[in-house]
Amino acid sequence: MKINGRCKMEEGRWNRNLRINVSIRSILQFCILVILQLVYLSSYSFAQFKLPDYKTVTLDNGLTVYLMEKKDVPLISFSAVFDGGAIKDASVSGIASFTAEALRFGTASYTKSQIDSLFNFYGSNVSTYANADYSGLYTRFIKDNIETLLPLVKEIILTPSFPETEIEKRKQRWIAELDQAKESPRSVIGSYFNKHIFGDSPYGSPVNGTKSGIGSITFEGIQDFYKTNYRPESSAIAVVGDFNASDMMKLLQNYFGEWENNSPKKLSDLRIVNTPFESPTVYLINKSNATETTFLIGSYGTTMSNEDQTQLDVINTILGGRFTSWLNDELRVNAGLTYGARSRFAQYKLTGTFFISTFTATKNTEAAIDLALKTYNRLFEKGIDEETLLSAKNYVKGQFPPGYETAGSLASFLTQKYVYGLDDSIINNFENEVNDLTVERVNELIKKYFPKDNLQFVLIGKADEIRDIAAKYGKVSEKNLEEDSY
Amino acid sequence: MKTLIIFLISATSMFAQIAADDVQTFTLKNGMKILVLENSAIPNANMYLFYKVGSRNEYVGITGISHFFEHMMFNGAKKYGPKEFDRVMEANGGANNAYTSGNITAYTNWFPGSALEVIFDLEADRIAHLNFDTVMIESERGVILSERSTGLENNPLEQLWQEVQATAFVAHPYMWPVIGWESDIKNWTKQDLENYFHTYYAPNNCLVVISGDVKLDEVKSLAQKYFEPIPAGPEPRKVHTVEPPQTGEKRVFVQREVPSPYLMITYHVPQTGSNDYYALDLLSSILSQGRSSRLYSSLVEENQLALEVGTYYGDAFDPTLFYFYGVCNDAVQASELEKAILDEVAKLIDEGINENELQKVKNQKLMEFYRTLETINGLSNTIGTYDLFFGDYKKLFTAPDDYKKVTVDDIKRVAGEYFTKQNRTVGILNTEEEQ
Repeated sequence: MKINGRCKMEEGRWNRNLRINVSIRSILQFCILVILQLVYLSSYSFAQFKLPDYKTVTLDNGLTVYLMEKKDVPLISFSAVFDGGAIKDASVSGIASFTAEALRFGTASYTKSQIDSLFNFYGSNVSTYANADYSGLYTRFIKDNIETLLPLVKEIILTPSFPETEIEKRKQRWIAELDQAKESPRSVIGSYFNKHIFGDSPYGSPVNGTKSGIGSITFEGIQDFYKTNYRPESSAIAVVGDFNASDMMKLLQNYFGEWENNSPKKLSDLRIVNTPFESPTVYLINKSNATETTFLIGSYGTTMSNEDQTQLDVINTILGGRFTSWLNDELRVNAGLTYGARSRFAQYKLTGTFFISTFTATKNTEAAIDLALKTYNRLFEKGIDEETLLSAKNYVKGQFPPGYETAGSLASFLTQKYVYGLDDSIINNFENEVNDLTVERVNELIKKYFPKDNLQFVLIGKADEIRDIAAKYGKVSEKNLEEDSY
Repeated sequence: MKTLIIFLISATSMFAQIAADDVQTFTLKNGMKILVLENSAIPNANMYLFYKVGSRNEYVGITGISHFFEHMMFNGAKKYGPKEFDRVMEANGGANNAYTSGNITAYTNWFPGSALEVIFDLEADRIAHLNFDTVMIESERGVILSERSTGLENNPLEQLWQEVQATAFVAHPYMWPVIGWESDIKNWTKQDLENYFHTYYAPNNCLVVISGDVKLDEVKSLAQKYFEPIPAGPEPRKVHTVEPPQTGEKRVFVQREVPSPYLMITYHVPQTGSNDYYALDLLSSILSQGRSSRLYSSLVEENQLALEVGTYYGDAFDPTLFYFYGVCNDAVQASELEKAILDEVAKLIDEGINENELQKVKNQKLMEFYRTLETINGLSNTIGTYDLFFGDYKKLFTAPDDYKKVTVDDIKRVAGEYFTKQNRTVGILNTEEEQ
């Protein structure tokens, strides 16, 4: 569960802007050092990026393994993914996330406290998590410690014991954390938006669950979820860092080659239909002590494997993906209504959303929504000119390599590649894809992918003061922030 | 239980490929110091400009102006007018951000190595010829007010932090929040901004760090062309206010509707780079880094008193605060969490720590060191902050050794010396005060 970061004391610093990153499919990035100083038509070709060499091996038990050597620092990053994401929650909201976290509550030979102490002793941590589409384990350690820590990683994945005392303790805190998370509209508005867009379909369910869902979790339920969804043939491990690939392969074969799961497979044939919206609607979440309104405006978007995504991200860079983007320029720089405004595609395996997001003082709610909509409509009314397109292309190309700089980001790319069936060309052909985008193509893509009609709104704010404004944009349904569920 | 094998850091595994000698340094005639680290692992580079000015240089009436100024640095100069700085940078593949703390203001540019000259041109223009456009000042005021209110709206801890700081300090400007007080944000003038610029934004008050796919010779010639002609300014006035010793425990209560109370406890401690710095920094890790840390394992997991706990000991030029903070679990009173934290503090002072625990946090520091070396961004930021706060960037590269010198006795001593009742300020944020 990752809602803790919000309360960290962040270095006592104030930044100029919310960090806006153009992350291509939010996958992390890398590059190789071929610099091509080709400058033509003032379109810059900064460098051609290629994914470094790596090996893919499928073990006899069906487990997929990726190995990539990278020796700039003596660290090793280890990322594993399993088919245990929140879209498998079914009737118990939050069980996927809870099961993922419970993997490290104890194993055949280690207690929870021993696991935590050992990783920490070697300067390391292990995290286990779930998102909508998959669950995973991530750790990073100093290379000298691999023989000590890999056996623990193996047990966390293969022989978790799910001790009841740890489950009960964590359930109690988890439920309290769900209440506490709502203190920050920014960190929960996404869950309300997905609920509003996807309704009762699996993607409408909050990844961290509801209080009643978490409350109903049992040892048997976790055990059953684990046995059904954690299987070698639907899992992958990526190891990137300072090691010799053939030695590492032997170690992994040794530790994970014996993994078996003979429990019956549940056939799942999850189909997601994006039922078109017939009218614009507003989901108004009342936070009675709010001083500002936080809002998202959008609709359906694209899936993770969408072949046009690199080019769509260039267009979104112009709309709301960088500091000089239209939305940030209008709402922040020109109008001073907000500290930041942006837009993005949130992509999942089987569906996705597109939304504009910002926040403003309660009294400015109407002005900010109107300006966001007016700015968004420029996409359809005026389109994008040559000069702006060129600037955005240079920007995404220039900002691409740092995302692939670390072993952790590469390991994360490899495991996402497995989950989403992505091709290496996302990286290797990135620059060509960007360069090929023309103004004509931009206009086709806008028509095809950016939702124009029947936009959906989610507002978190002081309902008594913004109810009438909300009604201007569509039929309003209301909920109190304190209520369980989203 | 598997036996815990004590891992000793071997001297040979201490340094990765990048070492102190890889950092090259030169100073321009106007006093601007430049550090360069060539690294072509990716075809990108960054330029960090650290100005030695932060909210500690402000006074009542202009609180928050350092941070406001940071925003204004993007709003137009002579060659590049309003909006042009960002437009030109992004069109050349670059991105930027900036941050302000109590001590420094840092400007950060990330760009393809091939755009280096454009970045020099943009930076030189705003250092030499910043322009204060009245319209831009007013819209930026709105942005800052939104930045301030969204921070408070989304994070009760920030509201508590502000009140605790204001209570713990009586004299030193660390007493006000970096973002400033609302009435000051609404009222400072163009003249205030101009004065600030002329006082602090001179090349001799700035440290530049450039890392990535660049060559020293090219950096040197561009620095001479763009930065050297900018005249040096007079040395800014030193912050001479010394916070007097605290003479008794202070308490502050903040009313806000929350599901469970927030707690913060602080003690006055010495500044970054002082003799006790390394021991205090390791102590912070012992208390709160990782799930096996003292506070997390005891208060969150074992006793279920808190949803989260942490400690914070940030970089500071002047004596500063060591923070403990936590959010109460459901139905736990702030007084219970406060007692539990103070019991942990007392245990530290009475019993100290063991060698194994000390070795753990030293290993954590080694890991942090490697993580810093992993990205050119981490390198520039950390090289710069070490040079500013420790007086020499080389201290970054000796940090694992410097931490190694700390003993269990040092940890026990600093806990006893600073974590006293007299030196303590306690803040509680809750829906209502406990009876």
